[in-house]
Amino acid sequence: MVGLSLGEQHFIQGGIAQDLRCDGRKRLTYRPINVETGVIPQANGSARVRIGATEVIASVKAELGKPGVVQPDKGKVFIYIDCSSTAEPAFEGRGSEELSAELSAALHRCLLGAKSGAGAGIDRTSLVVVEGKICWDLYIDGLVVSSDGNLLDALGAAIKAALSNTGIPSVKVAPGASSDEQPEVDVSDEEFLQFDTSGIPAIVTLTKVGRHYIVDATPEEESQMSSAVSISINRKGHVCGITKRGGAGLDPSVILDMVSVAKHVSEQLTNKLDSEIASAEAEDES
Amino acid sequence: MEYVSPEGLRLDGRRPMEMRQIRAEIGAVSKADGSAVFEMGNTKVIAAVYGPREVQNRSQQLSDKALVRCEYNMANFSTGDRMRKPKGDRRSTEISLVIRQTLEECILTHLMPRSQIDIYVQVLQADGGTRSACINAATLALADAGIPMRDLVTSCSAGYLNSTPLLDLNYVEDSAGGPDVTVGILPKLDKVTLLQMDSKLPIDILENVIQLATEGCKAIANYIREILLENTKELEYRRGS
Amino acid sequence: MLHNKSFVKKTKGGKVMKQVREHYLRDDIYCGAPSCTVCDSSGARLSSSASTILVVDTNVVLNQIDLLENSAIDDVVVLSIVLEEVKNKNMSVYNRLRAICSNSNRKFFVFSNEYHRDTYVKEMSGETKNDRNDRAIRVATQWYQKHLGGAVKVLLVTNDKENKRKASEEGICAETVESYVKSLDRPDLLDLLVRPSSEDAEMADVEDHRPSKRKVIYSEHKPMSEITSGLHRGIYHQGKLRVNRYNPFEAYVGSESIGDEIIIYGRSNMNRAFDGDIVAVELLPEDQWQGEKSLSIVGEEDEDEDEDVHLAPNSADDAPRTTPQQGSTGVINAGSSRPSGRIVGIIKRNWHSYCGSLEPMPMPGGSRGVAYALFVSKDRRFPKIRIQTRQLENLLDKRIMVSVDSWDRQSRYPSGHYVRTIGDIGDRDTESEVVLIENDINSRPFSAQVLACLPPLPWSVSSEDLSIPFRQDLRHLRVFSVDPPGCKDIDDALHCYALPNGNFEVGVHIADVTNFVFPGTPLDDEASQRGTSVYLVERRIDMLPKPLTEDVCSLRSDVERLAFSVIWVPSADYWEFIFSKKISTLAFCIWVHTHRFALALFMYVQEMTPEADIISTRYTKSVIKSAAALSYVEAQARMDDSRLMDPVTTDLRNMNSLAKKMRLRRIERGALTLASAEVKFQIDTETHDPLDIGMYQIREANQMVEEFMLAANVSVAQQILKSFPLCSLLRRHPTPTKEMLEPLLRVSAAIGLNLDVSSSKALADSLDLAVGGDPYFNKLIRILATRCMSQAVYFCSGDLSPPEYHHYGLATPLYTHFTSPIRRYADVIVHRLLAASIGISKLPSVFQDRLQLTSIADNLNYRHRNAQMAGRASVELHTLIYFRKRPTDTEARIVKIRSNGFFVFVPKYGIEGPVYLTTRAEKGSGEWYVDEQEQKIKKMDGSFSYSILQTVQIHMEVVEPQPNRPKLQLTLI
Repeated sequence: MVGLSLGEQHFIQGGIAQDLRCDGRKRLTYRPINVETGVIPQANGSARVRIGATEVIASVKAELGKPGVVQPDKGKVFIYIDCSSTAEPAFEGRGSEELSAELSAALHRCLLGAKSGAGAGIDRTSLVVVEGKICWDLYIDGLVVSSDGNLLDALGAAIKAALSNTGIPSVKVAPGASSDEQPEVDVSDEEFLQFDTSGIPAIVTLTKVGRHYIVDATPEEESQMSSAVSISINRKGHVCGITKRGGAGLDPSVILDMVSVAKHVSEQLTNKLDSEIASAEAEDES
Repeated sequence: MEYVSPEGLRLDGRRPMEMRQIRAEIGAVSKADGSAVFEMGNTKVIAAVYGPREVQNRSQQLSDKALVRCEYNMANFSTGDRMRKPKGDRRSTEISLVIRQTLEECILTHLMPRSQIDIYVQVLQADGGTRSACINAATLALADAGIPMRDLVTSCSAGYLNSTPLLDLNYVEDSAGGPDVTVGILPKLDKVTLLQMDSKLPIDILENVIQLATEGCKAIANYIREILLENTKELEYRRGS
Repeated sequence: MLHNKSFVKKTKGGKVMKQVREHYLRDDIYCGAPSCTVCDSSGARLSSSASTILVVDTNVVLNQIDLLENSAIDDVVVLSIVLEEVKNKNMSVYNRLRAICSNSNRKFFVFSNEYHRDTYVKEMSGETKNDRNDRAIRVATQWYQKHLGGAVKVLLVTNDKENKRKASEEGICAETVESYVKSLDRPDLLDLLVRPSSEDAEMADVEDHRPSKRKVIYSEHKPMSEITSGLHRGIYHQGKLRVNRYNPFEAYVGSESIGDEIIIYGRSNMNRAFDGDIVAVELLPEDQWQGEKSLSIVGEEDEDEDEDVHLAPNSADDAPRTTPQQGSTGVINAGSSRPSGRIVGIIKRNWHSYCGSLEPMPMPGGSRGVAYALFVSKDRRFPKIRIQTRQLENLLDKRIMVSVDSWDRQSRYPSGHYVRTIGDIGDRDTESEVVLIENDINSRPFSAQVLACLPPLPWSVSSEDLSIPFRQDLRHLRVFSVDPPGCKDIDDALHCYALPNGNFEVGVHIADVTNFVFPGTPLDDEASQRGTSVYLVERRIDMLPKPLTEDVCSLRSDVERLAFSVIWVPSADYWEFIFSKKISTLAFCIWVHTHRFALALFMYVQEMTPEADIISTRYTKSVIKSAAALSYVEAQARMDDSRLMDPVTTDLRNMNSLAKKMRLRRIERGALTLASAEVKFQIDTETHDPLDIGMYQIREANQMVEEFMLAANVSVAQQILKSFPLCSLLRRHPTPTKEMLEPLLRVSAAIGLNLDVSSSKALADSLDLAVGGDPYFNKLIRILATRCMSQAVYFCSGDLSPPEYHHYGLATPLYTHFTSPIRRYADVIVHRLLAASIGISKLPSVFQDRLQLTSIADNLNYRHRNAQMAGRASVELHTLIYFRKRPTDTEARIVKIRSNGFFVFVPKYGIEGPVYLTTRAEKGSGEWYVDEQEQKIKKMDGSFSYSILQTVQIHMEVVEPQPNRPKLQLTLI
């Protein structure tokens, strides 16, 4: 998609090798990040994140559902990503399906942890209303409005921001229902449960171009990558999930090195995001 | 159900002839050749225009004029109840077609033979009148992309509830099941290019309702012109003159 | 200014959705005071001299609407938030409040505070909706005070203590309703006040006057959340409570969830629910479904549970329910066990005002002028209501109206307040008024707007009318009408011509009401609301204003009138038609032929071909000139007098012979000849008191007219349905269910009569065969059969499927009402449909709205039924007046057996009532027992018995067990 001449390719690779990228950034510097919350009033929580010219919107909708049989003590979380054709004509029709599925799967892996829910960034037990009977199901929808590289990190940040913007109506369960029946619930209009988002990891994608890796790659840079590893790391510095994309093989030691770099970067990113979210929330409130 | 109180106020506090608050912004998608956000109350859409560019699928190429394509999409979160419809359902296809036909007529396609113009509209929030909002957003995006046009196309809807013609129905009013007339006009040429209505309406009332919707279109056209003018001034300023 | 409101909404499917609505705040909402210099005062409603402006809160409106309706209260600002809350809580109060606000004589102004920039308040965190709304009311009051300045006092009227306290803190004048009304110095207004419930400690000085009774009598109503979850889980059932008109201790809840009616016995199971309330019911354990004796009214203090004498019912809807285990006096019968239940909560109250009188009581001595009294509703379905009054001596012998306010668990009776006085008890005008009010009949004079829609009077047919192309000039036809004597609203007339070939052309001409009543006009709206004219014994309440009813539309003799005509004519391809064998399928309508030659031909062609066939119909608007307005008696006399050979008489005879043949065919198809006991009064023209009473005699002339009207209605039904399959207004008569026919079958089984009820035809045949020992027997069985049927109803054709259109009683697949547009609105609608279907006018837009058409049909059914009830009540009233001075001995037939007596039907007067074999005191002493199988009541020693349908001699007399409470008593002689 990105058509580059040989000279341009060399220029990009050379810049990265010298730690001076085309737009003047260093290898581990992000483009300006901008967060807005509450952009979709109909959703329980929502956020728009802009990283450079990449723009994504994430929304969280909560619905009452029934917990699965295997995990009666956990609510369910679904992540769906959609790439709007406004972002790229190639996304027209079913053109974005593959990419959307790839992004959804990667986010699922990075945020929701294993099947058992262990290691998940989102605490699903807090979604249960009555064990085995009623829980909240969270539907997280991401939409790529404008694509200018580094979609996964942007989506991860948007989801984190949307979750911290999310208020779930508090629920009262009518007493007296016998154990085998579905209890009646009363939804309060005034009280909302805020979501604890401190455990939600940030996603850092390191793109390997030549011998070096860069963060927040533009599409031009992405076209030169040999492989990319997305690592989600929470505030405590624990790795929550790793996804490797791109064909070239990597030496395990390189991966470990990437993880430690990512850990370092994620600290800055998390702080940056948190302060952006906080100021966005403050603005949304006013 | 009472949609207009005896005091003459609608459920959201508007009077029958009032439009919702409109807001427009040019350049929401920086990578596109032209783009715009258009809001009518809680209805919010983004439109992006790519082109004129090389025709992607050669077999579709037209030798005497440009190929205009349009795709309409609703975000999953755009409705109150989360959408689960796959992309490209019948309703979207129909609206895509309506938008394309409406805009194609006003683009000077003969100036750009063998090229392709793509219009993509994405609904972020739907609260009634998405069709109109999409056309308005697309007009702005086309203008932003610098595509030659005969005139702007603006659109607005009007309905008829409680024996009162109402301008610019919101979702609640739209779901009342009354008639909903969507009108698109070329404001300078003063021609109607789009007219759709569902449900039944006596002819003498239809006239009033269409008239009302047309007035709405004109008001939107004025607003869009202002936005374009402002945008142009800004571009001029940025060029550093 | 824009503000987004968001709230959480739970959808029906249990889904929780966040809803966001825009909310625009404006600066162009005006205060409504004409003196205001800032606001646009063109829409001002408040009086310019007002020194005090009232702002009322929601509860004041909900509770004190009777007070607000009194014209002494004026200059009231109604806030939109108050309207909204009232609307959510009680639609009928909302409608009443809206009516006051739109009444130009009242100075009520609606202020849309919710949309005003300065008075909109945003919900604060932790604030409940109620608190927020109360605050909104205070903010608006304060805004008014500030806005209008010191010249006017703005007073917040609230009974909410907390709200009042906060208002005072914020510097707002606030008072309770009581103290405000007291300050007006109008003691009569105080009676209109609702007595505050105990929460409003404001009135703590009202000490309880019956301390001994302050024990809990009723079980608690479950909270709404529990009811919802109970309904959801299927342990409770929701439905509308209908109290048995004849036994207030028995009620039914039609429950969709169990698909059957649940019976509720006794006041404690009914648990403070009123007739018409939407309630939640819990089923009793099955072993309590019978043996309700312990719960029956026997032990229930001094309730008067005597059955009154009533007019004999005409259909199942009028008749008391006849389940075997009839609550009060019934005997327990095994075999049929219907679910019984008890009410656990009331989902929606149906409280309104009730007509009745105070229970007689001695005047209390020296009680500061305030007295408590028990109000007894005329309609026995409602319990007594306790009221507080300062004018007891004025009210004791009056019919009054009372509203219900509350009913707490400690009170045997609900408490309410006096609304207004109707008049003296027993006074005929007062009692007639009560009949009208009870049946929700609008007897007010027509408003000026309605009268403005009338054509200029005196009206006569103009050349313009004649020049309209679709209006045919039929003035040359010899048209005449046959109606009851003294009928002034003549809406039908007939003509009948012998054609040269011996066939007959018959026309039915109906008053062209729609030529004067145009859709959407105030006149049309009013008629649509009234639905039907109401005929009381001594007066008629018109659906249309008198000039239309009695003059312009009425097809009087010797004047030219506009009509809508149905004419049955020979078709062009008549002979072809005769030979095609489709005749019997074209059974309906049109031209009637009885040509002897044709008759012979038919017999030759097909024996099945009946002779009175209708071949084609023509519909046209016309101008006619009636040659004679006959009464049934006159018409009959003419036909019977063989010396008379004048044209009109000849026409009458021809028509009569046609009608007889049509009638025969109809009966062959399975139409039921049902019977009802209609009575007729002779009224003194001076005093309007009844002079004589007797059964209404049905003559051939009546049947003749009826036959042609039926045929016209059927033709029109076909015609309109063909053109408008989805929006025609038709009339259906549902086939009675087995259960409904059960009482009839039980009686017939007891007397050894075998009735086949498998179809209307079978029933008609077996009714024909039912001849007993005496001439009246057959009629009696028919009367019993009639009251098993439900009533016919109007409906919109789009709402049902064609098989359901069937009219059981007339045995026709389609039926509608076309022939009486002066007195029935349904016919007006059908006229419009017919006119549109023959292309002479446009279909009004209301027909495009099926929901609206359905609601019109529902209203017509309601009005129709009420009109009938009112008519019956009026006859009952006059029966009572008649027998007051004339104790009578007469013959009666036993129609129902009870454990302590039986019900008799008095054929001569068409009334039905109880005859007690035992007095109340010795009830249940066991001297008599009932044989359910044989439908007999026997003496224990077997020496004596009464069986069903037996003839007995009774004495009828009006007694007054309590002063001013006369009732008709039947005793055996």
